[in-house]
Amino acid sequence: MEKINIICVDDQREVLSAVLQDLSPLAAFFNIEDCESAIEALEVMDDLDAEGEYIALVISDHVMPEKTGVEFLTEISQERRYHQTKKILLTGQATHQDTIAAINRARVESYFEKPWKSEELLSMATTLVTEYIFDSGIEYEPFQAILDQTVVLQRLR
Amino acid sequence: MRQYLKYIIPILIPLIVLSLPTSFFPLDGLTIIQQRVIAIFLLAALCWVMEPIPIYATSVVIIVLELLLLSDKGFILFRLGEDQSNFGELLKYNEIMATFSSPIIMLFLGGFFLAMAATKYRLDINLARVLLKPFGSEPRFVMLGLMLITGIFSMFMSNTATTAMMLSILTPVIALFGPKDPGKIAFALCIPVAANIGGIGTPIGTPPNAIALKYLVDDNLITFGEWMMFGVPFVVVMMTASWFLINHLFPAKQEKIELKIKGKFLKTPKAITVYITFIMTIGLWLMGSRHGMNSYTVALIPVAIFSLTGIINKEDLKKISWDVLWLVSGGIALGLALDKTGLARLMVHSIPFDAFSPYVVLLGAAMLCLIMANFMSHTATANLLMPIMAALGTSMTSLTPLGGEITLILVVTFAASLGMSLPISTPPNALAHATGHVQTNQMAKIGIILGVLGVSLSFVMVWILNITGFIGQP
Repeated sequence: MEKINIICVDDQREVLSAVLQDLSPLAAFFNIEDCESAIEALEVMDDLDAEGEYIALVISDHVMPEKTGVEFLTEISQERRYHQTKKILLTGQATHQDTIAAINRARVESYFEKPWKSEELLSMATTLVTEYIFDSGIEYEPFQAILDQTVVLQRLR
Repeated sequence: MRQYLKYIIPILIPLIVLSLPTSFFPLDGLTIIQQRVIAIFLLAALCWVMEPIPIYATSVVIIVLELLLLSDKGFILFRLGEDQSNFGELLKYNEIMATFSSPIIMLFLGGFFLAMAATKYRLDINLARVLLKPFGSEPRFVMLGLMLITGIFSMFMSNTATTAMMLSILTPVIALFGPKDPGKIAFALCIPVAANIGGIGTPIGTPPNAIALKYLVDDNLITFGEWMMFGVPFVVVMMTASWFLINHLFPAKQEKIELKIKGKFLKTPKAITVYITFIMTIGLWLMGSRHGMNSYTVALIPVAIFSLTGIINKEDLKKISWDVLWLVSGGIALGLALDKTGLARLMVHSIPFDAFSPYVVLLGAAMLCLIMANFMSHTATANLLMPIMAALGTSMTSLTPLGGEITLILVVTFAASLGMSLPISTPPNALAHATGHVQTNQMAKIGIILGVLGVSLSFVMVWILNITGFIGQP
């Protein structure tokens, strides 16, 4: 079974814990990494990738010191190794310009506003991970129990 | 009307050929079956030149038409005259179907598996990163490094995939060049040139080589290692020449360039399996037949290893370029029909080639191939020309002092890879042209010079092979 990772980035510990709590049903199948800055996240991703593991999804806050979420996600979207990786921006303080940049440059798949609804975040994360699995040609069967069945049926057609 | 011509002509001409009586053709003893082969051959040639349908579709059409018109299990109405004296011999249906899984196809399948695994486990990009380092940052030498790497990779991967990978590394770098810097042209052009030339280096480098191998059997057998013994030096000389040429015509004004490739070599068990299998397969190929296995048997070893370890899974299997495999199958089927019905021999005997100087025949064949390869697919060119060249080579006694059949087949095969003067000549050229940095006339300048130079060099090569006794009389 391939090792698939979900990366969560937020500089506020409480927010990070809340995200991890929401995603906990996925933890049985995927490894969920929590990082407190974009720099740390990039290092973690680099290591995981070097181990031959997959980075399926990155969920990032926007307003963070050193590197903002949009800058971070833009970097990922331009990096060959994370070509298929799905991205969610989770923020309360992004300006109109930030939002445009997130869509046009960082190419985020999804945008959540704080406070968010737990089940919505979980369902979006599940859908995106399922799409990632099919996009990158990983065998989906070992993960079938947790995947988004609508996407599975669409992709198998 | 004009836009329909490319549909009408490939259908009309073969139909006219089919409807004429056999006595109409200036070939003594032409059978009905042979006449049908002529029609199928013309259909194939016209479809590959005018491309009304994708080139691999033409191949499939050839195979199915052969099954319907020429096989012993064909449509009943097409077998009506079977007992007539001038009907000719029907082909066996299973021999025609077997072209889909000919050893040549297996060789390519093995090559595809190696290339897919190398890409999936990033062996290609990581090798590129490491190999580029010693070339520094001076544009001339960076270009040399890029060309070498492209050349080496295209010996084992498809020329198109290699070009795509290298251009994707290069694009952000070229963007930093000044707007009028000829270096832009040089860098965008050096990649397809290196990929096309590099493909010549091994039997699996490009489909025309594999098609040639199909006709190099028995006494004329060339093993994987033997091919590389003359292929690689040829590639090295051509590559050096093109490096000088490109640098001379389009000198870069930029003083420093830096290529950034991120990443590390993967060290997981699967990745290590890929590295070992890769080295082992190439090693076995190079050893020739000392271990008793030929290159076709060896090619299936990585297929088994990568399948059983899950390195290539069923999703990856769907990404195999079946179109390339089918395109080659069609060519093999065409060759089979020309050979087994005796048409190739009949045609070659009807034209007094022996009256011509063998040099004229060699030069004419190479030039014809070079011109065709510039305007149509290299593989389709080889598909059409190779069966005729093989028949010509065996029947022309005046060729024997020059090395005989092998000489003719090798110069034609090399010429097929050297057709690279237009964006439509090969997919690598099309990719480079699409970057917007290269104009058609610039590509044509380099392509024509290198094409003519390459064909001349291939003559020198077969001459050396002949005097050293590698080919021709023992």
